[in-house]
Amino acid sequence: MAYVTSPALNVHGFRLNANGTIVCTPGSPLVLDRGDGVHEWHVGSTDDKEMIIAHLEQVLAGNDEAHDFLRQRAALMVDEMLENALYAAPRDASGRQLFTKGGKRGILPGERITLRCSFDGERLTLEVSDSWGSLSPETVQRFIALNLASKGADSHRAGRGLFFMWHLMDDFYVSVKPGEETAIGGALPLYPQSNEQGAYNHGTAVQD
Amino acid sequence: MEQPFKIDIRKGAAGDTVEFYGNIDAHADRHFDDLIRQVSANRVIMDFSAAGRINSMGIALLLRSIKSIKTEKKAEISIQGLNQINTMLFKMTGIFLLASEARAV
Repeated sequence: MAYVTSPALNVHGFRLNANGTIVCTPGSPLVLDRGDGVHEWHVGSTDDKEMIIAHLEQVLAGNDEAHDFLRQRAALMVDEMLENALYAAPRDASGRQLFTKGGKRGILPGERITLRCSFDGERLTLEVSDSWGSLSPETVQRFIALNLASKGADSHRAGRGLFFMWHLMDDFYVSVKPGEETAIGGALPLYPQSNEQGAYNHGTAVQD
Repeated sequence: MEQPFKIDIRKGAAGDTVEFYGNIDAHADRHFDDLIRQVSANRVIMDFSAAGRINSMGIALLLRSIKSIKTEKKAEISIQGLNQINTMLFKMTGIFLLASEARAV
């Protein structure tokens, strides 16, 4: 049976329009299972991140340059997605972040962070969900626009991890049920149209 | 097994060579303060041949340290040993606006 990501949630995609503006568009639930099954890992603590990434890299076995580049991109994407779920998602009632990046922590009672992925040999689909539902599509849209507009080398620019996800993944999406669940996902092709530009449909310029 | 993060600095006639080992992320933060203190040459080569993954926090740390070295030490910085994804990230985030890519000899 195909696993369809979070079908009950509103799925938001993000596109660069003809005016160079980031727009948030309704997305479609992403089908994770394209024939080879879904791999699923539950995060128990911050220490699990490297172990999960190592397992994911085993799913993407292959000795050629394309597989190596896919493993590099996948590891970065999962790193950013899990960092978001572990540190940015948990908020108190006033919206303040509960944990600082880099600190060790275990999963709280009732908290759930899950990575799901599938790889059909040509396309890796990734999704990380958390049980906070604290990320809004408007925030994602603002962060992508901020990072896209700034050509300088600011060290402390908010939302850089989300920008990396949007830039590198095809069909990048965010699904949110406020206060209950956030899911972030997208797909990485084994052979991206342009290795220099990541996801082909964004038109993002990079400095040469 | 994941290699712990560390930075080695080699002093040479051509300048200081800074070698990064392991993943560069939030855990690497404290090492970067030492890096800025220890660099003294006016030419600095940053070598990422032994570096692993660099995430958004790692990019922020690198941007901060490169700016500090350029400003405080008046040093020219070049970069070598990047893998494909890290080359892409450096282009996306403007690191190559601050530091040049060393050409292989």
